Amino acid sequence: MTQPKEIFVKTDRCVGCLSCTIACAVAHSNSRTLFGAVFEKPVPKSRIYVEWSDPDKKIPLVCRHCEEAPCMFACISGAIHRDENGVVLTDTDKCIGCWTCVMVCPYGVIGRHLETHKAYRCDRCPDRDVPACVSACPTGALVYETAASFSGAVRKSASRELIRSEG
Amino acid sequence: MEESTRYLIAGGGAAGMAAAHAIREIDQEGTITLLTDEADQPYFRPLIPFLVSGEKKDSDMFMAGSGPYKSGNVSVRTGSLITWFDPEQKTVYLENGGRIGYEKILFATGSRPYIPPDIEGLDADGVFALRTMADARSMAKRAEQTSHAVMLGGGVLNLKAAFALLKKGLKVTLIVYSPEVLSQLMEPEDAFLIRKALDQAGLKIINGRSAEIVLSGKNGVDAVGLDNGRELSCGMVCIGKGVSPNVHFLEGSGVIVDGGVAADMYTACNIKDAYTAGDVAVAYDPVSGDRMVTALWTNAVEMGRCAGKNMAGVKTKYSGTFGILNATQVADEPFVSMGTVHTKEGDFEVQRSSTAGSYRKMVFNAGGDRLIGAVLVGDITNAGLYRYVIREKKPVDRIKQNIIDHTLHYGHFV
Ligand SMILES: Cc1cc2nc3c(=O)[nH]c(=O)nc-3n(C[C@H](O)[C@H](O)[C@H](O)COP(=O)(O)OP(=O)(O)OC[C@H]3O[C@@H](n4cnc5c(N)ncnc54)[C@H](O)[C@@H]3O)c2cc1C
Repeated sequence: MTQPKEIFVKTDRCVGCLSCTIACAVAHSNSRTLFGAVFEKPVPKSRIYVEWSDPDKKIPLVCRHCEEAPCMFACISGAIHRDENGVVLTDTDKCIGCWTCVMVCPYGVIGRHLETHKAYRCDRCPDRDVPACVSACPTGALVYETAASFSGAVRKSASRELIRSEG
Repeated sequence: MEESTRYLIAGGGAAGMAAAHAIREIDQEGTITLLTDEADQPYFRPLIPFLVSGEKKDSDMFMAGSGPYKSGNVSVRTGSLITWFDPEQKTVYLENGGRIGYEKILFATGSRPYIPPDIEGLDADGVFALRTMADARSMAKRAEQTSHAVMLGGGVLNLKAAFALLKKGLKVTLIVYSPEVLSQLMEPEDAFLIRKALDQAGLKIINGRSAEIVLSGKNGVDAVGLDNGRELSCGMVCIGKGVSPNVHFLEGSGVIVDGGVAADMYTACNIKDAYTAGDVAVAYDPVSGDRMVTALWTNAVEMGRCAGKNMAGVKTKYSGTFGILNATQVADEPFVSMGTVHTKEGDFEVQRSSTAGSYRKMVFNAGGDRLIGAVLVGDITNAGLYRYVIREKKPVDRIKQNIIDHTLHYGHFV
């Protein structure tokens, strides 16, 4: 079996231009165009976030589709499952907006759609070869690779740290 | 010949199903038999208010095939009440006369509503305590024939039940003995935004009173009598006064029951090859180390998975749970409550902040260098980060102001 690709972040390359967030929101809009997206109601949301930390570090954050995904096991309505590519998905029809997933996600990457009262997160753009955020990134801070080819160690250490905290 | 199974799961709730699926991830061969006294296949219990309101139907409720519950080959037997358990013979006995031997057993029989013994007349038709799909169906039916429901207890489950009935168009009155609703999850002043939202949503709340008697006639319930002599006429009553663990069948078996089924750090009971998880088990708080029983789906699944791994031979330590770990949305007001949130007694550093639409209370230890609890109302963004900080006992020095200002994000840990 070929290993599925994942979105990896090279924080040292991020300049905080937010191109990824715009591309993500557009990719998850009905019209799939920037012009259309800005007029849509409810306003399309980005599932990737760029946070700042001192002194001037920019950190793109996106769902890591954790191995022992706490959100999936905490969900009280069976709305979160893992697909055959390892992508952890929220089923909008089943989501009841109880926000239990938000309460247990240690990365803070599950959003709340207030108008529709549903949780949302990165779905790795199932209809695209490369996720929109990665295509849009001008500096190569976001990469789409298999864990093996992306010097696996980086991710492994991050997820191991979490697994420890999640039991 | 007597029937036997490699893994016997007593109870088909969150803990039992999580354990069964965790076992299957490790052992694809060993027979797994899951017994439940309910008539329904295992389902997402927290969804039953939606069955009352009519927003979901039976087929939306079931666990098998949904979320992480996708592995097959688990033999589920409904209508199978376990009445006795013999650890010497490694056998359980069923009410229907059957008996099943096992190699490893999990006690995951959950809890049932606590019914206060001091209220008279609770056996009348139209008195409910919402716990099962069967309860939800009969509540929905009763709600068709009545216009006013009285809810006894102001906890989160009763609020959910109350809103299901409001959705159906009933008038709903909630009787709460405590000074404010949700007293288990927050202090009265933490609840003001929620209270406002409940009032606006049309829920009628009477505080500081309790019910003494349920009056009934030939059509069942027709009134509730309060301790101040007042009578509220109504067609149904719903009790939400907490839960107590289902441990009857363990009487005399030698399994230690102390508030719930006692477990070690690896979810094992005091008897060989026996494990426990979920509402029926005594869990522990990873921060304080305190032992307690919980009523949490999140704990039931996590502890159930841990027990399943141990049963399948992969020794796994249970990482514990906060006694309070609740997220929900009532009357369009989202809130999260976790860890230590009752701060009236004891020595804490409490940081509160409120705006028109949100409220938060961050609870630090007396020294102010550890976060130990949080209540977020309205804006619950990034709540999981606070859980992470509390649970991992992270030193807060560098991020304390971010916690107080609610600007913490994962970038602070990178
Ligand atoms: C309306 C409602 C809303 C809720 N909302 C939330 C929420 O938002 N968040 C949250 O964290 N928690 C919530 N909970 C609590 C959560 O549902 C429970 O904590 C969880 O179901 C516990 O799982 P369990 O497997 O330990 O036990 P249970 O779900 O109680 O399952 C135990 C099963 O074992 C069966 N059983 C008992 N004794 C026997 C016996 N002797 N023989 C055979 N079978 C037996 C029971 O009938 C039951 O089917 C809610 C509960 C309710 C009722």
